[in-house]
Amino acid sequence: MRWITDIERGRQLCLHCRKLHTLDVHVCDRCGSPVHQRIPHSIPLTWSLALAAIVFLIPANLLPMMVVQSIAGEDAGTIMDGVIYFLEHGEAGIGIVIFLASIFIPFFKLTVLFYLLLIVHFKWYARAKLGLKLFRIIHFIGKWSMLDIFVVALMVGIVQFKHLATIVTGPAAIAFMMAVLITMFATETFDPRLMFDTLIKLQEEKHSHPQGSSHD
Amino acid sequence: MIERKETACRDCGVIVSLPLHPASSQYRCPRCNALLYRRGQPFGYIIVMALTSLVLFVPLTFLPILDLNIMGLHASSSLFEALWMVYRDGYGFIAFVSMMTGLLIPVLMILLLLMILVPLKMGYRPTRVALWFRLYEKMREWGMAEVYLVAIVVAIIKLLGMGTLHIGPGFFVFIFFFLTYYITTVWFNPEDIWFDDALDH
Ligand SMILES: [Zn+2]
Repeated sequence: MRWITDIERGRQLCLHCRKLHTLDVHVCDRCGSPVHQRIPHSIPLTWSLALAAIVFLIPANLLPMMVVQSIAGEDAGTIMDGVIYFLEHGEAGIGIVIFLASIFIPFFKLTVLFYLLLIVHFKWYARAKLGLKLFRIIHFIGKWSMLDIFVVALMVGIVQFKHLATIVTGPAAIAFMMAVLITMFATETFDPRLMFDTLIKLQEEKHSHPQGSSHD
Repeated sequence: MIERKETACRDCGVIVSLPLHPASSQYRCPRCNALLYRRGQPFGYIIVMALTSLVLFVPLTFLPILDLNIMGLHASSSLFEALWMVYRDGYGFIAFVSMMTGLLIPVLMILLLLMILVPLKMGYRPTRVALWFRLYEKMREWGMAEVYLVAIVVAIIKLLGMGTLHIGPGFFVFIFFFLTYYITTVWFNPEDIWFDDALDH
């Protein structure tokens, strides 16, 4: 089946209320949102945000997430230390949950984002549907990376026993939170329709250059 | 002949035409299976659920969620007190983001829905409905009450090893708050706002 898209029809969709507009409209007359055919600067913004997230993930994994101060001394633990602690103390379930939320999901989200950017860049139209499935997954699981931040915030709030035992927020928490927030922004700026648009471009190229010659 | 309106899929850009008065409870994109339309519940139901959720939020601000005893020393904390401690440690940004995403955005979403739906239910079109609704949609991406709920459970398990732990009433209130908040947002269908018949009543 041959799909007709908004670009071929000369239409643009209001992403907020889903009213379909002609191209001369800049603000939706039904809901007042700005209207664009595709999210403006989607690709360069997603690239920059995804790269920035990687930069923040490095200190997030190397520095301590929280510091336990007790009579026994100071114990600073990174994210991975927290996972290992639970695996060793017979709480494998919690260990796995934290591993998934804090290590696997951020890594998976960024890998998928780069893959989606490559699909657009190299016009891999055949992979657009797979790309969209992955995009929906990272959109859905993204917020779960905040789990460890919330846990640390709760522990710090409750374990305040002066010299006996006190938990203090570690510097990794701020770096990790920045990485999570930036990755969420990156997912929001990526426009999945760009992966499908390459089909239109491929067909136009075939149409205008039947011998396969091209000049740009 | 059924009246149809044209729209486009927000995930793949394909043009689709949907019946103006949907007969099915949901419609999906024929090319990429994205959800194009899902029927919502009557505004009356949503308002009742939203009000319940709002009422449940009040005790959350002061009820303790956890109560910890270590060698005779005793500490208990509500959700907001816990975040205050993070702020005092010099991590105000973490406290702010946690409070917004975990607690305040869900409540603000409920308030915005009530500001939109109560006037509609009473039969007139609220002024600035478009602006409030845009805010609601923006917040939907950032509300993380469910993550916060799981975080409390993880924190409880972590703290079990440190001393005697009692789970406070705030925890159970938070569970009910989350459930009513979740049902409210699922029952609400954004398109019902934009349908002309909803606005013309
Ligand atoms: Zn689609």
